[in-house]
Amino acid sequence: MKKDGMGLEEALDSLEEIVQLLEEGKMTLEESLDLYEKGMTLVKLCNARLESAQKRIECLTGELPPDLS
Amino acid sequence: MTQIFTVTELNQRIADRLENDPRLHDLWARGEVSNYIHHRSGHRYFTIKDQGSSISCVLFRGSGLSLNFELKDGKNVMVFGDVAVYRPQGRVQLVARALRQDEGLGFRHLQLEALKKKLAAEGLFSQERKRPLPLYPERIGIVTSPQGAALRDVLRTLGTYPAGVILSPAQVQGEGAEESVAAAIAALRGRADVIVVCRGGGSTEDLWCFNSEIVARAIFACDVPVISAVGHETDVTIADFVADVRAATPTAAAKLAVPDVEQIKEDLRSAQVRIVRALWTALERKEERLEYLQQNISAKRMYSLARDARQRLDYLSQSLDAAQGRKMSDLKGRLEVAEGRLLAVGPLATLKRGYAIARTGKGLILQSHDAQPGEEIELIVWKGKLRCRVLECSDDGE
Repeated sequence: MKKDGMGLEEALDSLEEIVQLLEEGKMTLEESLDLYEKGMTLVKLCNARLESAQKRIECLTGELPPDLS
Repeated sequence: MTQIFTVTELNQRIADRLENDPRLHDLWARGEVSNYIHHRSGHRYFTIKDQGSSISCVLFRGSGLSLNFELKDGKNVMVFGDVAVYRPQGRVQLVARALRQDEGLGFRHLQLEALKKKLAAEGLFSQERKRPLPLYPERIGIVTSPQGAALRDVLRTLGTYPAGVILSPAQVQGEGAEESVAAAIAALRGRADVIVVCRGGGSTEDLWCFNSEIVARAIFACDVPVISAVGHETDVTIADFVADVRAATPTAAAKLAVPDVEQIKEDLRSAQVRIVRALWTALERKEERLEYLQQNISAKRMYSLARDARQRLDYLSQSLDAAQGRKMSDLKGRLEVAEGRLLAVGPLATLKRGYAIARTGKGLILQSHDAQPGEEIELIVWKGKLRCRVLECSDDGE
């Protein structure tokens, strides 16, 4: 059931790290640009994860009640 | 000839029969009190039971005045009164006229206390054992009845949070409920990141399976944190003591299980703002701009990112409220200035006027002896690059 690629938690953690690094301002410009791009990609990824929330319900035994499936 | 009764007639007939039977009058019955309700009308309703059976009792306000002890669940009592039929429901009940305390607490209550002691001694309730809930669970296991309202409450509250939900159906009351709940918990092993064990409100009997040893041990043996939510706020069962987190209701359990999606979205927006702001700060740093010019790194990319950042601010300021939006448009203005200044001094503007940057693998060529005759050098022009070979090196004025 593990999703492909980065999970929400991992993505949010990396994003937080990137924001902090950028805000510390110790990077060269080139590094800042790299981080900016990475950060925005992560934001997109997180939003996509949140939007793709087709809730999947499965039942271990028997059938799901009709109002839930 | 078969007689056809209306329901009212039938209940009336049963009532006549029972209420006229002298053996069902002026009797004593002994049992343990449960489901005790002191109604605001002053009447008291409860059930007395032994291990095999139970019967509803009512103690009307007038008869209750002489009560000389506190009536509550788990108490063993002797009830004096008459059997009667509550006609609207065809229910046989004992109308109490006097109540006497039977010594001690009820048998079942004693058993429960003994079990609590035993499990506590084994460390099943220990605080050190409680595990923190995962922040962003991807798989949420739910142990409950597929038909119950509790399941619907939980699913509704989980909302749009993107996780898989695995229902492990259980029978949550009646004969065999204990085994069913324990098995349903065990069945989730390795399949969930957090487990919610829940059922809606009910009588003390209905919730009783959550006081059983087998359910307690199943929760204890879980490989992931368990949130328990049994009955209403005031119902506390052994399952609640063993669980890593006890929630007052199934809805509360679902809230604990997942983070707030709106909060995450808000955090993401604020992360974007912070990233853009940090980039803008970096763009404004003069000495780094010079360094940037010397290194001649991908200038186009930088400008396009700066434009991108500005557009993002546009978008963000639309989606944020007015006050934040104003701050954002201020930020955007400063970003535009930074971008413009960068353009003015940047290599692109210069190259566009017909200049070229010459460099070797060692760096920029600023003087004739930075390169040797025959050496390969690179010329960067406004659009594209040239690979060239040096024919001759001569100093100025020669």
